Amino acid sequence: MAEKFDSLEEQLEKFVENIRQLGIIVSDFQPSSQAGLNQKLNFMVTGLQDIDKCRQQLHDISVPLEVFEYIDQGRNPQLYTKECLERALAKNEQVKGKIDTMKKFKSLLIQELTKVFPEDMAKYKAIRGEEPPP
Amino acid sequence: MGEERAGHAGMMENFSALFGGAEPPPPAAATALGFGPGKPGGAGAGPPPAVATPQTAEDAARKAAAASGPFYLMRELPGNMELTGSTNLITHYNLEHSYNKFCGKKVKEKLSNFLPDLPGMIDLPGSHDNSSLRSLIEKPPICSSSFNPITGTMLTGFRLHAGPLPEQCRLMHIQPPKKKNKHKHKQSRTQDPVPPETPSDSDHKKKKKKKEEDPERKRKKKEKKKKKNRHSPEHPGVGSSQASSSSSLR
Repeated sequence: MAEKFDSLEEQLEKFVENIRQLGIIVSDFQPSSQAGLNQKLNFMVTGLQDIDKCRQQLHDISVPLEVFEYIDQGRNPQLYTKECLERALAKNEQVKGKIDTMKKFKSLLIQELTKVFPEDMAKYKAIRGEEPPP
Repeated sequence: MGEERAGHAGMMENFSALFGGAEPPPPAAATALGFGPGKPGGAGAGPPPAVATPQTAEDAARKAAAASGPFYLMRELPGNMELTGSTNLITHYNLEHSYNKFCGKKVKEKLSNFLPDLPGMIDLPGSHDNSSLRSLIEKPPICSSSFNPITGTMLTGFRLHAGPLPEQCRLMHIQPPKKKNKHKHKQSRTQDPVPPETPSDSDHKKKKKKKEEDPERKRKKKEKKKKKNRHSPEHPGVGSSQASSSSSLR
């Protein structure tokens, strides 16, 4: 899975480095550096072409839109993953709690109903089949 | 590293303790695919196998019994094999490593911590300089689908004037403040520590000197007091007691 992203990461790093160098040339431009600037501009185009080629490998990757909000706010996108995992675990625990409580309730109800309606409950158990105790 | 692993292991113990240890592990084939036991009638379930016919007949008999009996509102129970919240879904989908990675330690808040090599002020909100990714999705730039190299005639448009850029345009050189602080800290560690270290060293030396000097002083004082006691016969015992008390205090 991670191998898919390696080439994209490499291309992006090259692109960023090229842009950084371009910025340095432009920030204090000298007439002699025009050739270098032209070369960097064309590197930028080829860099964009290379990044575009990586799109074919990653067509099945989907990114949640909320991650972009984190990046736009200057926040670490790993925080999104962290919060997602924490939320998932919390919900998982809540649901497990509910399921366990309902199972306990069911067993207690069956127990009590068996005392009051033994015949009906015997029929019920016959229909349901033998269920393992919770 | 070993401590970290041990910490993670400890955390996972707590984590799995929430769900109890009695949870049956998913089948090997299912875990390899990243999915749990398939839902009944799901995409991968396919046609019901021939073995299932006695079960269905049994079910039909039960249904008939249920319809004729007192439980006319009784519904079928959900399948036991269905994946629910009663299973630890993080372990089910083999996400323990990710959980430990992101929730085990504190994740740094700023974007520059995630992309430390990216130049420019990336911690500022994208709306400040109109560089947000959201705007790129909502209003995609109007351009052709392919990237063409810039030819000779087009490059004439990139002829620049000689000289430095005005300060307000030098965005590339501005780094996030945290990095600068770190750098400053490093500098202060290399430069500043010299003055604070020297006094601390000297203090230490002074203390050592004091310690070294103390027994000599004591001896000298004792000798002086002895001499005094010899010369003053009026108070022979007091001098010795004072000397002992003074030495004990120091």
